[in-house]
Amino acid sequence: MTLKLRSVEIATGSNDRESRLVFDDGMLVAILVRLSGEHGSLADKWFLEVGFGPVKDIHAPLFDDLETAKAWISTRLTDIARRD
Amino acid sequence: MRGVRARPWDRRSDPIPRHAPVVSRAARPIDASQTDPDLPFSPPAPRIDMSNPFVRKLEGFGPLPDADRALLERIGANAHLIGQRVDLIREGDTPDGVILIMEGIACRQKHRANGARQITAYLVPGDACDLDVALLTQMDHTITTLSACRVVRLPLDFVKRLTDEHPAIARALRLSSLVDEATLREWLVNVGCRSAIERIAHLFCELLVRLQIVGFANADSYEFPITQLDLADTVGLSNVHVNRSLQELRREGVIELKGRTLKILNLQRLKSIAEFDAKYLHLGARAAA
Repeated sequence: MTLKLRSVEIATGSNDRESRLVFDDGMLVAILVRLSGEHGSLADKWFLEVGFGPVKDIHAPLFDDLETAKAWISTRLTDIARRD
Repeated sequence: MRGVRARPWDRRSDPIPRHAPVVSRAARPIDASQTDPDLPFSPPAPRIDMSNPFVRKLEGFGPLPDADRALLERIGANAHLIGQRVDLIREGDTPDGVILIMEGIACRQKHRANGARQITAYLVPGDACDLDVALLTQMDHTITTLSACRVVRLPLDFVKRLTDEHPAIARALRLSSLVDEATLREWLVNVGCRSAIERIAHLFCELLVRLQIVGFANADSYEFPITQLDLADTVGLSNVHVNRSLQELRREGVIELKGRTLKILNLQRLKSIAEFDAKYLHLGARAAA
């Protein structure tokens, strides 16, 4: 699985703007947002703003970098594919 | 596992620093000679600065005879100091008493197998866990201290006598249970129908009123020992969304969080964001609070 990222800015109503749309085979599966300085020690971590289908999880961890985030998203998608 | 675990009050209290309420009430001296031999514990040395939020809460539901009031005052003298994040009773345990919170904040919570949890109620000073818990064979949720707390455990037979022999106390306790249920309904509306910022604003408004009733908040501030993660698990949001909402409330000049003190700078605005109406707390004559 190769996830593709596209940079966007998102109006989250906060200073968290820098974002990535995450596509799996052309389908949008998640939106990641980089946390701004207003999150203190969590600043610069990547937050799963939205996950679609099996990627949806309000208790998802924060990711140190985009590669870690992609690995986590891939695992979620793979787990579901295997279950099917 | 049911009923065999040592409970926090079975241990000697550790000398945990207590955090003072935002507003100290006038001291009500407690005379050890008044102690009722029927009370559940032989009391420790009386704390002469002890004031009893349980009395203040129950009196709010209607006047109590002097004897009832004195009895409730003495119950408070038996409070145990318990640290933060201690389970007072766990899901599956056999209930062995009614827990009263005299100081600090505890919560009711449920855990999922995957580690997620939902906090379903805050117990603030003066609050008790279910009066009729004796009718249950096992707890369906866990009660945990969120901050250091002063806690009293009333044995079940004592609670039975308390309600059998003191009808005014029994009535106040039943009203208190109704308010607990109404509060739970309001919290359900919160997680089901309100946005992130509205949920938090609503909780802050509710706590202001509840803490004012028992003398632990002044006109606009109170001690708020709840972590952001606890708050997230209370309102069903991620930690990030809670932080964004808090920042927005700060930016708009609605609240100020300094250390462990929450100061509400614009109560009208906070109430308006939350559409807060204190009716469900059934304050009656205290509605001006």
